[in-house]
Amino acid sequence: MMLFGFPITGETVAFFMLALIIITSGVFLMTLRNVMHMALALGGVFLGVAGIFVILGADFVGVVQVMIYAGAITILMVFSLMLTHSGNKAEEGPEVGAVRGIATFVGVAIVVGAILLVIRHTSWPVSPTAMQPYHQSTVLLIADALFHTYTIQFELVSAILTTALVGAVIIARKEEQ
Amino acid sequence: MFSWQTQPLTGLNFIGMVIGAVVVLAILLLVVMYLIFFLRKVVAWMQNRIGPNRVGPWGLFQSMADVLKLLLKEDIVPAKADRALFLVAPIIAFVPAFTVLAVIPYTAGHIFTAGLNIGVLFYIALSSITILGIVLGGWASNNKYSLVGGLRSAAQMISYEIPLGMSVLGVVMLAGSLNLTTIVQQQATDRFGWYIIPQIIGFVVFMIAAVAELNQTPFDLPEAESELVAGYFTEYTGFRFAFYMLTEFVYLFAISALATTLFLGGWLGPWLPSWLWFAIKTSAVIFFMFWLRATMPRLRVDKLMGFAWKVLIPVALFNILLTGLLSLLV
Repeated sequence: MMLFGFPITGETVAFFMLALIIITSGVFLMTLRNVMHMALALGGVFLGVAGIFVILGADFVGVVQVMIYAGAITILMVFSLMLTHSGNKAEEGPEVGAVRGIATFVGVAIVVGAILLVIRHTSWPVSPTAMQPYHQSTVLLIADALFHTYTIQFELVSAILTTALVGAVIIARKEEQ
Repeated sequence: MFSWQTQPLTGLNFIGMVIGAVVVLAILLLVVMYLIFFLRKVVAWMQNRIGPNRVGPWGLFQSMADVLKLLLKEDIVPAKADRALFLVAPIIAFVPAFTVLAVIPYTAGHIFTAGLNIGVLFYIALSSITILGIVLGGWASNNKYSLVGGLRSAAQMISYEIPLGMSVLGVVMLAGSLNLTTIVQQQATDRFGWYIIPQIIGFVVFMIAAVAELNQTPFDLPEAESELVAGYFTEYTGFRFAFYMLTEFVYLFAISALATTLFLGGWLGPWLPSWLWFAIKTSAVIFFMFWLRATMPRLRVDKLMGFAWKVLIPVALFNILLTGLLSLLV
């Protein structure tokens, strides 16, 4: 069965449902006026993206996305919002005029059209393993890449991240005094 | 129909999945109902009381009566609460609690749960979303006690999630897989036996972190009755209150099942059928949790976070190092 040139399989159905979740959450994120609600909508976007990763066969990345983004980062955001203010009444911006609204719409339409055009005209490399993503353990592939092929780069990145972390703590301490 | 782990997804397998999920949910609700009864009886026994004994024989229908009472109660939303979030928060808390049960292998034969390659990680990742439901519920209630309870639980659960994840890493290193079914199978052939023996440090860290994740005594600061009324669910009544209680007890069951799978050999065992072994071991872990609950006093707030970051995480890191060293040397 085909619909608009797409074969209808479980995968495409799941993709469109996830896309719907991501877009709805994104629209909510932009239109809601309460910071807490926005944080929750952001969580919805993260979860949807995690689902897309799983569909693409990157189950490890998908679960890490849930753990880091939908879990830790959203909660961190909610946590800091709770500490700082009650969350109600995000600041209202000035009312947008008709001319500016139309200009924004046209601008966005041009950008979306350009991106679509580029995507449709690019020939994407098709990986031979793309058809059966679930038969390989992505954990092993990632571990092999990180700890065999790119060991030095991995160690360097982790050293930089540790330095950044320690630096952030030191900067925060200085402000405290 | 119930062997979808080895077959492609078809309509029949999908129906099988739905049936499996409904069956697990029904069994789970029954288990949770009697967990509450078991908790009250065990704690009463340890405190030299009798416990519930009025409704039905030996008080067996007490939990059922409690559940019915909760379902019949009025669902009150406080006037100053954030209505939408207040209504949604218990659902956000409960859904992951039930979802994590999908990866736990209950039996050897009819494994009709998901054989995810990343089962352990799936559990840890999804259980972190529950914290969001708890925090949002505390915030949406617009009540100081709820807010403080929500803040405490966010800080506590995020901190203790790290040693929980790290303590599991030792097991993953020994088994060479994140798949829970494979981990159980590896324990059958491991020369040290079940992973509780080579991973005893990991097991201790896991149990402490698990108790903290469950917000149980001695880590029940988010819902400390004597100072916070009921913590993050102070304003909740009726069905929504039941959702939070259900979340807590489902996690109690789930983390005991996870501990059984990771450290106690899952469904492995002689003579008895595998599901019975799994049930016995899980019940033993649950009993241990209740024992702690009846014995320990509550930790002080300022000691709590320090304990996670300064004691548990270094010990868990040391355990990973030790496991790596030993697997190289021995």
